[in-house]
Amino acid sequence: MMSIVEFLFNPWVRGILGLALIGIIFFSAVITVWLERKFGADIQSRIGPNRVGGRFGLLQLIADAIKLFTKEDLIPAKADKLLFVMAPIVILGSAFMMIVAIPFGAIVIGDNSYPIAATEFDISVLYLEAVSALSVLGIFMAAYGSNNKYSMLAAFRNIARMIGYEVPLGISIIGIAVMVQSLNIVEIAQAQSPLWFIFVQPIGFAVFFISILADMGRLPFDQNEAEEELVAGWGTEYTGMRWGLGLFAEYIHMILGSCLMVLLYFGGWNLPKFITDIYVIGMFAPIYWFIAKVVVVVMTIIMIRWALPRFRIDQVVDLGWKVLFPLSVLNLLWAVALGLFFGA
Amino acid sequence: MVGILEFIVFVLISILTIGFSILVVTARDIVRAALSLVATLVSVAGVYVLLNAQFIGIVQILVYVGGIGVLILFAVMLTTQELKGDSDVE
Repeated sequence: MMSIVEFLFNPWVRGILGLALIGIIFFSAVITVWLERKFGADIQSRIGPNRVGGRFGLLQLIADAIKLFTKEDLIPAKADKLLFVMAPIVILGSAFMMIVAIPFGAIVIGDNSYPIAATEFDISVLYLEAVSALSVLGIFMAAYGSNNKYSMLAAFRNIARMIGYEVPLGISIIGIAVMVQSLNIVEIAQAQSPLWFIFVQPIGFAVFFISILADMGRLPFDQNEAEEELVAGWGTEYTGMRWGLGLFAEYIHMILGSCLMVLLYFGGWNLPKFITDIYVIGMFAPIYWFIAKVVVVVMTIIMIRWALPRFRIDQVVDLGWKVLFPLSVLNLLWAVALGLFFGA
Repeated sequence: MVGILEFIVFVLISILTIGFSILVVTARDIVRAALSLVATLVSVAGVYVLLNAQFIGIVQILVYVGGIGVLILFAVMLTTQELKGDSDVE
């Protein structure tokens, strides 16, 4: 038993685990793109991709990737080349930096659980908050670098939205941190062992869900790349794999946001003890349980995209400052009151 | 061994910090200056993390990069400036 613990806490093992997680997340982003196209087609009574790779179009994304890689790499003549080239790297880097701190389930042996995470530290929730906000810089660099008015408008909208929604997102997370008295995401997940926080703080969950949708730029909030108005938003001047990296960053952001939601509100990987006590199967069951919840959240987010129309940018900013911000403060009061009442 | 490694990382971070802070005042393009300022602040966060003050490092990123950096960029964008034009002909 001791050897497993030593093995899991070895920094080299952690480093390799982190690299493996990046690969796995990249692959699941590919799967999510396929899911979005196929599931979205189902919702709208279309067929969706069905030519490459059998009835379900399983190889469609490989075909798309080959297409992206073989496209001509264009850089506009009047572009700021350094910013133009760096921008997709910053956007993707912000998504990759989030992977470091998120535990993707845990291996449970007896009473101890060992989270599958590249690092564990005491303020991982704060870190995730900070790092996920970096992508807005990348989008701004892309927009300014490509010297295009549509990209510029998209960056404007993106920054306005980010400023508005980071605040309620942060305050709704503080509500949870106050209850658990910790900013460690592992402790927060384990604190929900009998009762998920979605039942304790429903208002906080509503605020968090809407804000993280806006944070990810998913559909009711994708004003920054509204196809009908802004061509393709920040990616207007991008071609080939440079654009593809931004697309992947978006989907990675969506998967990681769903993981965060499951960890903060849907009880993380916690399973009753009689299940985790089953030999070998029970050890890995929390990982499957976690992944199942993440898949449900991702599919919900995809459904929202194909069901709702897009808001105008002024409606979005209004919603953020006039509705979500007061609600998040209300939720914080509720969390503090609960904590005082139960002596947390 | 760890001391040497720490020293090397410190030197790298210092070079980044100094280099970017010089870029802030020498850049001809105001947006590049603003972005260099953001990069300087990120490097300073690196120094904090190296000193084992992770909390300050992360709050530095959260406040200065996520908040103030974005606000500066927003303010820069509100100043009047011309896009460099669309035509390929100089």
